[in-house]
Amino acid sequence: MIATIGFTLTHFQAMTLFALLISVAFGFLSRRRTSDRVKYIIWSLFLFLLIGVGIGWAMYPFSR
Amino acid sequence: MSEETAVGTTDAPITSQADFATTPAHQQGNEALAIAIGVAGWLVPGLGHALQKMWGRALGCFLTVGALVFLGVGMRGNVFSSDGGDAFGMLGYVADLGTGSFYFAARALETQGSDVAHAEGDYGTRFLAAAGVLNLLAALHAYEAARGRKA
Repeated sequence: MIATIGFTLTHFQAMTLFALLISVAFGFLSRRRTSDRVKYIIWSLFLFLLIGVGIGWAMYPFSR
Repeated sequence: MSEETAVGTTDAPITSQADFATTPAHQQGNEALAIAIGVAGWLVPGLGHALQKMWGRALGCFLTVGALVFLGVGMRGNVFSSDGGDAFGMLGYVADLGTGSFYFAARALETQGSDVAHAEGDYGTRFLAAAGVLNLLAALHAYEAARGRKA
């Protein structure tokens, strides 16, 4: 059963997985050609991670 | 897989209720078919695109929505029910229900219940909600493609 396995992910791993899956879905939905999809997925993933890490750094002073 | 097009969508789109009332029967049939495709896409992620022979998109939707649900359940995210209580619980329920049949699979598979006291459970809740919203977006895309508006 899936629920008995369970996943223990770090914050970064969870964010990366989320960003990857959403980027793939957006790439497949918004682009037709495979090459365009790959470019879109890579670019979208990069922006997801960049903005995510950026927001993390911006919130760091308020974490303590 | 490199090129995908909607089938049977060469007619002009029906843009309003007034247009719908004055359009020929075959176009009204197309509209009903488009709605059926949208509902099918909601019930089973990717089915709306598969019915239009958009295999790449169908597989992409099915796998990404399925993976989000799988990870969300595995991380013990909260699968909201209809008796959530407050407005946020109801919003979560609507978002989770967006996964269609996967919602019931998630409820059946999460035998240990949610654990939002830890970060993993909180992330799992977001994964499940994102899967639902993503599937609704995909179903809407399939509906629009069936109407010939975009592909």
